[in-house]
Amino acid sequence: MFSGWNWVARGFYLLLNICSFEVSGGLVQSCGHIIPESPVLALGSNFTALCILNESCLDFGNIYANQIIWKIKNRVVPKEQYHEINRTVSSVTFNDTSSLATPLTCNVLADGQIEQNIYGITVTIGLPPEKPRNLSCIVYQLSKLTYPMTCTWDPGRHTFLDTQFRLKYRWPQENFPDCIPKDVNNSCTITDVQFFVNLEVWVEAANALGKAESDPLVLDPIEIVKPLSPHNLSVNSGILPTVLKLSWENRISATVMKLKFNIRYRIISDTSWMQVPPEDTASPRTSFSVQGLRPYTEYIFSIRCMKEDGVGYWSDWSEEKTGVTTEDKPSKGPPIWRIIDASRSPASWTVHLMWKALHPFEANGVILRYEVTVRANSSLSSPPEKYNVNTTNLTLKLPNGTYEVTVVAHNRVGASPPSVLLIPASNSKAPVKNVRTLPKDGKLLVAWTAPNSYVLKYVIEWCLVSNSSDCIIEWQNEPGNVQGTYLKGDIKPFKCYLITVYPLYADGQGSGQSVKAYLQQDRPSKGPTVQTKKVGKAEAVLTWNHLTVDEQNGFIRSYTIFYKTVNGNETAVTVDPSKTEYTLSSLTSDTLYTVRMMAYTDEGGRSGPDFTFTTQKFGKGEIEAIVVPVCLAFLLIVLLGVLFCFNKRDLIKKHIWPIVPDPSKSNIAQWSPQVPAKHTFSSKDQMYPEGSFTDVSVVEIEADEKKSFSEQDLKPFDLLKKEKSTSEGHSSGIGGSSCMSSPRQSVSDSDEGETTQNTSSTVQYSTVVLSGYRDQTPVQVFSRSESTQPLLDSEERSEDHAGGSDSTPRRQWYFKRNGGQDENNTDRPCFERTKQITSANEGDLLGFAQLQISGQSSQLLGLGVEKNTQEAALSDVLQSSTEGQTMRPETVEGSPPSVDEMPKSYLPQTVRQGGYMPQ
Amino acid sequence: MAAADSPSAALQRRDLCSRGIRLAGKMRSDVIDLLDTYVERQGLDASASVAAAVEGVPVAAAERWDEQTGTQRLLENLAAYRAFRALLAQMLEEQREQLGEADAALGRALAAVLLQVSAFSYHLEELLRLESHGPPSEERAACPPPPQLSLFERKLRGLGVLRELAQWAVRSARDLRQLAKPGPGSSSAPSPPESP
Repeated sequence: MFSGWNWVARGFYLLLNICSFEVSGGLVQSCGHIIPESPVLALGSNFTALCILNESCLDFGNIYANQIIWKIKNRVVPKEQYHEINRTVSSVTFNDTSSLATPLTCNVLADGQIEQNIYGITVTIGLPPEKPRNLSCIVYQLSKLTYPMTCTWDPGRHTFLDTQFRLKYRWPQENFPDCIPKDVNNSCTITDVQFFVNLEVWVEAANALGKAESDPLVLDPIEIVKPLSPHNLSVNSGILPTVLKLSWENRISATVMKLKFNIRYRIISDTSWMQVPPEDTASPRTSFSVQGLRPYTEYIFSIRCMKEDGVGYWSDWSEEKTGVTTEDKPSKGPPIWRIIDASRSPASWTVHLMWKALHPFEANGVILRYEVTVRANSSLSSPPEKYNVNTTNLTLKLPNGTYEVTVVAHNRVGASPPSVLLIPASNSKAPVKNVRTLPKDGKLLVAWTAPNSYVLKYVIEWCLVSNSSDCIIEWQNEPGNVQGTYLKGDIKPFKCYLITVYPLYADGQGSGQSVKAYLQQDRPSKGPTVQTKKVGKAEAVLTWNHLTVDEQNGFIRSYTIFYKTVNGNETAVTVDPSKTEYTLSSLTSDTLYTVRMMAYTDEGGRSGPDFTFTTQKFGKGEIEAIVVPVCLAFLLIVLLGVLFCFNKRDLIKKHIWPIVPDPSKSNIAQWSPQVPAKHTFSSKDQMYPEGSFTDVSVVEIEADEKKSFSEQDLKPFDLLKKEKSTSEGHSSGIGGSSCMSSPRQSVSDSDEGETTQNTSSTVQYSTVVLSGYRDQTPVQVFSRSESTQPLLDSEERSEDHAGGSDSTPRRQWYFKRNGGQDENNTDRPCFERTKQITSANEGDLLGFAQLQISGQSSQLLGLGVEKNTQEAALSDVLQSSTEGQTMRPETVEGSPPSVDEMPKSYLPQTVRQGGYMPQ
Repeated sequence: MAAADSPSAALQRRDLCSRGIRLAGKMRSDVIDLLDTYVERQGLDASASVAAAVEGVPVAAAERWDEQTGTQRLLENLAAYRAFRALLAQMLEEQREQLGEADAALGRALAAVLLQVSAFSYHLEELLRLESHGPPSEERAACPPPPQLSLFERKLRGLGVLRELAQWAVRSARDLRQLAKPGPGSSSAPSPPESP
């Protein structure tokens, strides 16, 4: 730390010594200096600087040239560029001054370590001036006697140095003070120059690196003058309506410069200028009469001048002045046309005469009135009728005929030539041919082919076709030698115009030929709205309306129908634009289609709204083709069936509808279960010797008796219970089941496999009377029928075979019906049959029926309800009873040899099995 | 004269004559304008008569003018305009001394006329050079030193100088037209009598 401070102190001391060397003289002298001092160097040149040390410093500070370090700004110059000339002089050389910067310093390392600055110089680097180029001068006239000359030049490249430009000029024998530019380096103005003496002009550019002069320009300043424009221009009307006289003053003396002029003019409403022929104004003057102007027209004039020989510059255009030519007679008659309305009266026309106001260049003044003359050609003797009108139309009612209409326009000066129009009886002359239109340059060109005859002129009539407005006719005349013209009017784009061309002959007019045209077409503003007229299975008839004229925006070139299913690709069909209906074919039946329609003009198309429809499932007549044969076939089958039944009615009746004997008419024996022994088989055998009877027993079972059933007995009941739930729907009561045995019943019958009565063809009918009559003690009565009804046999068998849960209730119902307690329609046949059968014992049955109705109805109904809950058990019981009847005779009575051999006495087996005890 | 034979010399002479004529015309026009300004600014009467021959001012009128040769004409003109140049320079000096920068317009007009006189002198010298006569030295034509005059006399003298210069402008134009005419008579042959 201490040593560091020591070094700083020594350095400071040395610096003091160096800087205050020879202070005794009062001046501070450095230990050396650099040559050259503050040089200005050309960019890219080489440069050598010398640092010269004072001799005195050598001894005092031990500083020598070999210790010198050159620096540019703070950057040390490489030592390769140093050269020690002697012990006090060191040089440094730069091959390219572009690497130099300011300051360039000469430094030494005092005591070999501390760098001290000896001297520094400022180096300025730049470029010498280039030779100024393109020197040109112009003398502007500022007043009558003031002619400053301004010269401009190209100063050349930037020099990076302060460069002075001087415009020098002289006469051969006289020099003038230089013109020094102010604030610019490329122009200078000499305040006054003298004409008619050649002046030599040149530019000198100078800076620290050199001087350059432009090529001298030798000129007489009079040849480069831009004079002031003539002033005080005035315009006066001449005697003639086509002439205006201009007057002006020149501001340059004729002794200095003789002038020539340009005069330009235009109609005040125009924008383009016309010019008086230059040769007419090529000499000095102060006035000029402009001819060939239009009468009664306001013109604007302007004038300029330059040296007569054309050497120098044109002055600016003078201020503009206006003048109006005087009036003249109208140059032509107004174009005339007519609209003939012959609809109001067959004998006369309503003629609307129309003429156009003359253009200003035709009117040549203010039109005061129009004189209309109408002359009937048929009666030359009658004087023509004259009308003076201020408007441009006139409506006349004229008898049919040929007329000559003349219109003359009047202004203050005179009358125009007459315009003549023939109003013919009919347009019977030759028409033009091939009328066509062409939009061009924003206008509508109408062209036609002229007829063979000489045409005086053409009338082109047109109107805007629109739904919203009437066709307002506009028209224009064209000379007879043209075959085309532009419509002169406000022709709008996207609008339809109806254009008619009439040729006018000297003796009449040809019929008009019309064409529709658009100035510019566009896409239709909307598309057609399509809808279906008729939809079939594979086709649909689409219909639409044409777009209105206002919607078309152009000529409809085609329609395109796009249709698709929900997921299908869109199909396009192009349709002729004249059609309003189209049939889509090859469609898929029963499919939703979306259809839309585009109308196309030349410029594109626009789509209308989507429309959906669904094709039909069946085509036309398909349903009829199916239904009618089916109906016919059905009818035929029915007919055949009827015929068959009719033919086989006996057989059918025998098998299906046999005659059922009426049990009520049968002889039934009264018997009691308590006294079966009283019945003698022999008597029965005598009564029914040809058949055996199957005893029928009716068993009433108390609900509690179910409990007495063994479990073994209840097992089949459970199964039947299940089956009952499925077969309940088939039960139709006793009558139905008794009359018609269903196959299912037959199946269950076969499943049951066993019947009690399949061996018996004779049934012993019995009726159980449950209650007494009128408080009498009920007597258990079994009425027995002597009928040998086969149906009952089968019926009971079917009832039994219905199996399952149905068998028992049906059996119960059957007996109810038998008792006459219910007369269901479905039961009626059975009942009737029963009735027939029982007709033999009608008196007994009558009392029996009465007993049932009065005494048993409620009970039986209640029994029915109970049976609903206990039917399974009952069916089991009944089944068991039937089994008992059919299967157990052997066990009960030993061995019944056969049906015929079975004992005729009735003893229900259920009594033994289920504990039946007849009441 | 030999030099006049070459086409380029003839062309140059014609050009010098043409421009000299126009310069004389402009000079006369400017001098006339200057006279009005001078009379007004110096408070003189435009009709003030000046001595017929102001001392030191060359007189434009010439006897037997039409008999002069071209060289003679040129030499007389040159002598006159050199004298006018000295006189005008003196007038400009006097005007600056008298009015300072207060009347710059008059000074500029005088300076302009002085320049034109110088320019015309240059034309004449060139023409003389073309005529193979070198222009006479300036010293020979130098005017005598101006006499000591009062202010009014100086004003009147200036008026006389300008009036005579206007006359000389007319004469010089005619002399140059005469010189510009083609043919040998242009320089030596006498022309029809014509008074300037």
